[in-house]
Amino acid sequence: MSGAPFLATEHWWDLRDLSNISREILEFLDRVGPDWLAYVVSPLIGFVAAFLLFVLPSQLFVGVYGERRLIGRMQSRLGPNRVGKFGLLQPIADAIKLIQKEAITPRGADKWVMWTAPVVFVAPAVLVWAVIPFGPNMVIADIPVGLVYFLAITALPVLAAFMAGWSGNNKYSLFGAMRVVAMAISYEVALVLGLLGVVLFTSTMSLQAIVEWQREHDIWLVFLQPLAFVIYFISASAELNRTPTDIAEAESEIVAGYLTEYSGMKWGLFYGMDIGYALAAAAFGSTVFLGGWSLFGLEEWVPPWLILVAKTHLFYFVFIWTRGTLPRLRIDQLMALAWKYMLPLAAINLLVVAAERLWWHEAGLGDGIVYLFAAANIALALLLVVGWARVLGYRPERVPTRPRLVKHVGGYVAPGAETGGGR
Amino acid sequence: MTEIRSEPFVVNIGPQHPSTHGVFRVKVTVDGERIVDAEMVMGYLHRSIEKLAEERTYTQNIPFTDRTDYLSSMSNNLGYCLAVEKLAGIEVPPRGNAIRVIMAELQRLASHCMAIGAFANDTGAWQTPVMWTFREREKILDLFEMTSGARLTCNYMRIGGVAFDLPKEFEPACRKLLATFPSFIDELHGLLSENEIFIARTRGIAVITPEQAINASLSGPMLRGSGVAWDIRKADPYCGYEQYDFDIPVGYNGDSYDRFIVRLEEMRQSVRIIEQALDGLPGGPYRTEVPLALRPPKGEAYARVEGPRGELGYYVVSDGGPAPFRFHIRPPSFINLSLLKEMTVGGTVADAIVALGSVDIVVGEIDR
Amino acid sequence: MIEGAGPVAAFWGLSALTLLAAGGVVVSRNLFHAVLFLIVVFLGIAGFFLLLSADFLAMAQVIIYVGAIAVLILFAIVLTPRASRDNAETRMAPVALVAGVAVAGLLIPAILDAEWRTLSSAPALPVSDLGRELLGVWVLPFQLASVLLTAALVGAVVLVRSPREEREEIDEEERR
Repeated sequence: MSGAPFLATEHWWDLRDLSNISREILEFLDRVGPDWLAYVVSPLIGFVAAFLLFVLPSQLFVGVYGERRLIGRMQSRLGPNRVGKFGLLQPIADAIKLIQKEAITPRGADKWVMWTAPVVFVAPAVLVWAVIPFGPNMVIADIPVGLVYFLAITALPVLAAFMAGWSGNNKYSLFGAMRVVAMAISYEVALVLGLLGVVLFTSTMSLQAIVEWQREHDIWLVFLQPLAFVIYFISASAELNRTPTDIAEAESEIVAGYLTEYSGMKWGLFYGMDIGYALAAAAFGSTVFLGGWSLFGLEEWVPPWLILVAKTHLFYFVFIWTRGTLPRLRIDQLMALAWKYMLPLAAINLLVVAAERLWWHEAGLGDGIVYLFAAANIALALLLVVGWARVLGYRPERVPTRPRLVKHVGGYVAPGAETGGGR
Repeated sequence: MTEIRSEPFVVNIGPQHPSTHGVFRVKVTVDGERIVDAEMVMGYLHRSIEKLAEERTYTQNIPFTDRTDYLSSMSNNLGYCLAVEKLAGIEVPPRGNAIRVIMAELQRLASHCMAIGAFANDTGAWQTPVMWTFREREKILDLFEMTSGARLTCNYMRIGGVAFDLPKEFEPACRKLLATFPSFIDELHGLLSENEIFIARTRGIAVITPEQAINASLSGPMLRGSGVAWDIRKADPYCGYEQYDFDIPVGYNGDSYDRFIVRLEEMRQSVRIIEQALDGLPGGPYRTEVPLALRPPKGEAYARVEGPRGELGYYVVSDGGPAPFRFHIRPPSFINLSLLKEMTVGGTVADAIVALGSVDIVVGEIDR
Repeated sequence: MIEGAGPVAAFWGLSALTLLAAGGVVVSRNLFHAVLFLIVVFLGIAGFFLLLSADFLAMAQVIIYVGAIAVLILFAIVLTPRASRDNAETRMAPVALVAGVAVAGLLIPAILDAEWRTLSSAPALPVSDLGRELLGVWVLPFQLASVLLTAALVGAVVLVRSPREEREEIDEEERR
């Protein structure tokens, strides 16, 4: 990147690339302190910066406040609007309330496990941000296996949820624990297979390199891998327990699932970090599928981290939207969706990608071919989604959505009988 | 091959549970997620209304009927007043009857709004349908407030007619509501009836065959959902229902989805009835004058109305005194619940919640 | 060998953590706690892999052992009747002790006897090389393992299918 007039410079005050500041600090520490100091401080700076600049504000004001306001709009009500201007201080008021509430530990509960579960739940939510690239230089740890790292870290909260459900000594909690584990295992398989398609195309597992690949080829992976994107979205919302798939804390069925016995800030940690995970999933999804911090050249004019933040919040908005609209699936239906529907589709997708990739490289085709692949894959994805549903015996038009109308009382009205009513 | 079995255990759904619609309890025995046995436990909201009513005069009993099924107080008022009028041989003027029809049908709209919203909530549609239906229900309650002064427990019907005449701003307000209501029903139809997840959750769940439904003496949307065309408004007309043109919606298989679409269609039919009643609203008195301390002749009377939940019957016995000798309510949701075990056993816990939601219970009416 | 204060501290810290957790697995009376300790052991081992610059292996360790195997064990505990009796009344302790001593007797001489090649710098092992090796030289064992796992999966499905479900399925097909 050079030559353009508005390029990010290397001055510390250039906010378009926030890594300048941390580099300045680290160079200063290197000069004055022992050489290990910079090593210890650099990840801390990264996490603190990522948290203070992005995660915490997003969590509080987009996750807690924005989500509630938006859902309020969708439900034709106002949402929080009392505390502070427009109710903006509501998240803080909530936090204060949660902290001073009593954290009850029921008699008969496994006390230690119950107290450790929120901690186990919070730690991965922080660690996840290590591999998300916010800009060309703004990534805490650009490890070559960033994608696998993300998957590994997000496997941990399942354990915390299970611990929470088991330790509460409550049957509803146990239900929630069993559901969360069953669902996490099922959706992990489809998720990994779907993401493999992405890895095959880009032939790298580093998130930074995936963004660079999308920049170089001027195409987002969502167009090349629409099926993988859909699978990612559904799996992510299943693992995050968001509404169409929130069977683990299904309020109308099992009260609050694995959180039934939690109260006060112990519950608050779960609630807050749920939003943190949703944001992380949105950031990861926008990095892998939506071009990350790049926006077809605009990243040279606008701070790249702002682009990523905008994309993340847009992605998160879709989570909110589905939450405000859809009813919940039953557990066996969710399992069927994962194993009978998404898993075969992901496998087919993988085969298609492998064939395309092989053809591309063996035949030595130019980079322009990706647009052809994109068109082909979008068509194929639509075909597969509809076709596989047909294979599984789904016929939408068979379901009448209006009842029959009868003019006169009588006994049982057999199907196909003359009803005499009209509309 | 021997069957691998897990250990069954008992889960109490209720009395404090988000989906029991009040203090109602189902003791279910589950094997994993599958229900092998279900036992209903009720009586947490028993207030002894039937006995209390034997100590009050006939007019004083009207507010009690508000509090049995608090989601359809107008229908309850109406059922009770009809029973007493039958007992004492009182005629209601035509205007009173038309107002009663309008109120009863508005009440059906309000109650079905609640039923559909709560049912959607039970399937896990996170609060959105219930908020939308509550928005519309509020408009109906505004109309009730305009006429009776109360929103929930209206206490509006009187023996011999209604308590007050319709205020003059009622008709335009009601017409405004009726003009927007069908589009709201279409909205709900789009949000829920045609929603794949909603269909997947409710279709084929808690099936009641027509034989079962008739044997268990079900009524209302529960019976019609099973495909039985039965409606007291047509079978045993009261308040001049025979002059209005409307249809009875009936379902196909008797599953939860059918009960839902029947309720939705009933709302459309109610709108039709109210429009006709408003168009042909007669003048004249709205109430026959009845002595305050009414002493009906010795005898007994049973009057029934098609409440939002089904056949709502009031049975009153008089010994010639100012208070009923015996007072009994036939609560539709209590009798509709009698098939709950058959509806839930064999399904999952999630299905049980949907089954319970599709019955549309009001615990105040079950326990009385 | 390991150089610098950081890696040394990390090595000893991880060793202590792993060993303590392993002790916890053995000593813990509560089955559920034992599994939680086992998870800490897995995480510790992942840490060792990281220390050896084998980051892909570390991630795989976390995904497979923590994310899948430990969770499956937990699931098995929940689904087991009388899991709450824990391992207090078990009579397998002497057998386990003998088996443990036997394994240790095999492994410790082997470890002491082996000539460990030490590298001055960790080789960067790209994932692509790993994949090429797996699907090239080691393709047969790789395939065998996959077939074995698939067979186990199918076997598990067949085992847990109850006769009632089978009947229901046949009925459903007939209805169609």
